[in-house]
Amino acid sequence: MDARTYRRQLLGSLLVAAMIVVVAIVVVTAKLGPTSVVEEEARIERQELRIEQAEERQERRQELREDRRRTRSR
Amino acid sequence: METVIQELTRGNATEVKVILASVVAALAVYQVALMAVGYGKVKPRFLGGRAASFAHRAIGDALVVIVVVVAVMCVSYFGIEDDAAVHSGAAVLLLVALAMKVGVVRGLPRLHRFLPVLGLTIWVLIGVVFATSAGDFLWSR
Repeated sequence: MDARTYRRQLLGSLLVAAMIVVVAIVVVTAKLGPTSVVEEEARIERQELRIEQAEERQERRQELREDRRRTRSR
Repeated sequence: METVIQELTRGNATEVKVILASVVAALAVYQVALMAVGYGKVKPRFLGGRAASFAHRAIGDALVVIVVVVAVMCVSYFGIEDDAAVHSGAAVLLLVALAMKVGVVRGLPRLHRFLPVLGLTIWVLIGVVFATSAGDFLWSR
């Protein structure tokens, strides 16, 4: 094999490796999606906080209602 | 170290690690194919054994760096968890096997006959390490 063919084959092999890297990055990034795990966790945390606050408000309303009922019955 | 990784990855340490591990896994398959040509097991017309072997060595050098980076990220950011025994064990074995292979390639020519076994061991270990962490993470999404 002459030096030119060897160089061409070597370059081709390395180019294929570079293509594999690009394809792997594109496929995995597409699979992961635009939202990072940190953002996703923060979103879930915010959602849980909202639900908690809503439950607290509901409890407070319930307590107020019961207080009013008790005052009326006296 | 954890802060450095967070800053370098802009808070996406898991994603960066998964991508790097996927690149390693994909290139590991290509490495086996290259050495099949290098050892003359497969003889395609478009690629000679010498070029395949040199490409294998060049890509392997880059892979070692990526594997070490992923390992450092993994240990310093996520730590060693009790429920990831297979992953941690395979990762330690992988680093040992890589060190042995680099040592044999660079300094112990009389042990070159063990290179195919070492190479295949590394390939299997990369598969196990990937499947028990990044692969698992990707499948679950």
